[in-house]
Amino acid sequence: MDATKQNTIETSEVEYGPYQENTQLARYIKGYPRSFTRTPSQPLIERPLTLSELTGPLALEQRLGISAEDMAHLTPDAPRAMGQYIEVTGRVVDEDGAPLAGSMVEIWQANSAGKYIHEMDRHEAPVDPNFTGLGRFVTDADGCYKFRSIKPGAYPVTESDWWWRPPHIHFSIFGRSWMNRFITQIFFPGEPLNEIDLLLNAVQDSEARDRLIFQTTPTVVGAVNFLAFRRDFVLRGKHRTPALD
Amino acid sequence: MTRHSLPTSPYCTIGPFFPGAFVTGCEDLTSFQGKQARGQRILLTGRVVEEGNRPILNAIVEIWQPDANGVFRHPLDPRVHEADPGFFGWGRARTDIEGRYSFRTVMPGASDGYAEGAPRCPHLNLMLLAIGLTRRLVTTVFFAETPDSVRDPVLDCVRDPIVRGRMLARREKDRNGATDVPVYRYDIVTRGESETPFFVD
Repeated sequence: MDATKQNTIETSEVEYGPYQENTQLARYIKGYPRSFTRTPSQPLIERPLTLSELTGPLALEQRLGISAEDMAHLTPDAPRAMGQYIEVTGRVVDEDGAPLAGSMVEIWQANSAGKYIHEMDRHEAPVDPNFTGLGRFVTDADGCYKFRSIKPGAYPVTESDWWWRPPHIHFSIFGRSWMNRFITQIFFPGEPLNEIDLLLNAVQDSEARDRLIFQTTPTVVGAVNFLAFRRDFVLRGKHRTPALD
Repeated sequence: MTRHSLPTSPYCTIGPFFPGAFVTGCEDLTSFQGKQARGQRILLTGRVVEEGNRPILNAIVEIWQPDANGVFRHPLDPRVHEADPGFFGWGRARTDIEGRYSFRTVMPGASDGYAEGAPRCPHLNLMLLAIGLTRRLVTTVFFAETPDSVRDPVLDCVRDPIVRGRMLARREKDRNGATDVPVYRYDIVTRGESETPFFVD
């Protein structure tokens, strides 16, 4: 798709408010020392939004490769990745609920033993030769994405003597502008480690915290059964199109 | 009637394990779909440091900018049909053990403001993600000679000339002769003395 030929965005009313603090993670988290040495000490500065901030990269698939839908089965001949097979679906919308079609969604996660393919990962857990833990997908006309993978394992935080990260999947989403470039981590429901995770529990508002947790949906039954999870994302942006009512 | 807004999803830190495969090749913005970008090629490079001037290893830096004529590859730009076919405008890099990142790109042109707003002088948007940052940090990189040599609606939000100066990429002396592309240095101090100004996000 050519970026210049996408649907015209009704721009006159587009509006991006700042994130609401109580629905976001705290900036400083006790027990997470780098939040104290890296977070700016000076107040953030207000600025007007101009064309530069209201635009952003679109049609990223022209620049970055797209993955096959099943991250746990890279080629038909190769064995499947080890672990519990999962199917993850969801929808990316703006604050009005309008779908963000054509958004790139980047996924990265640990394997079922809690190991990432990354030189910074010093956890002594095995690499799964049939699993890279990476995926790139594009939302359809309804803003929906879907991929298959395995449920990631928990893993210990190297610098901590007690903190184990609960199973989670990282998401990086490109909305329609620089203002809704979005990165997060999504957790699995009912995991005991969720109760003590410093990041998940850094969201004060409990309803907002639930938006970082997958919802369970009925298992996908077939030749292989997939535990099924859903997570919708609401990115910033209102009044992109005038309300009909 | 105004529709009720849905609550936005919470941001979370990028963590330590952002895949290298998602970065490789993204540091070079100077070509797109087999076509070379127009305009003056530059190398934008710098160090990312935290409190105590300590380098931040493994931070992810992303940029978004207009082409050499100041056109954004996006339908909101009224000049989008003139967009350089050899320039996409987005890039991503990762910092090394010294906190260094670099992008090969082109010097952005002056661009339109918005609606009745004032035009923008050459700049690029930059965001930073790292362990310890629960949200992205956003700032703007300018290419002006001195902090007071240009008017820009975003730069002008920062009044203190010393702080304004921290938003300017500095041209480095040519090191290896005239054939080199110009090198612009932009260091980012997330916290500490000479802290980089970041914007409300």
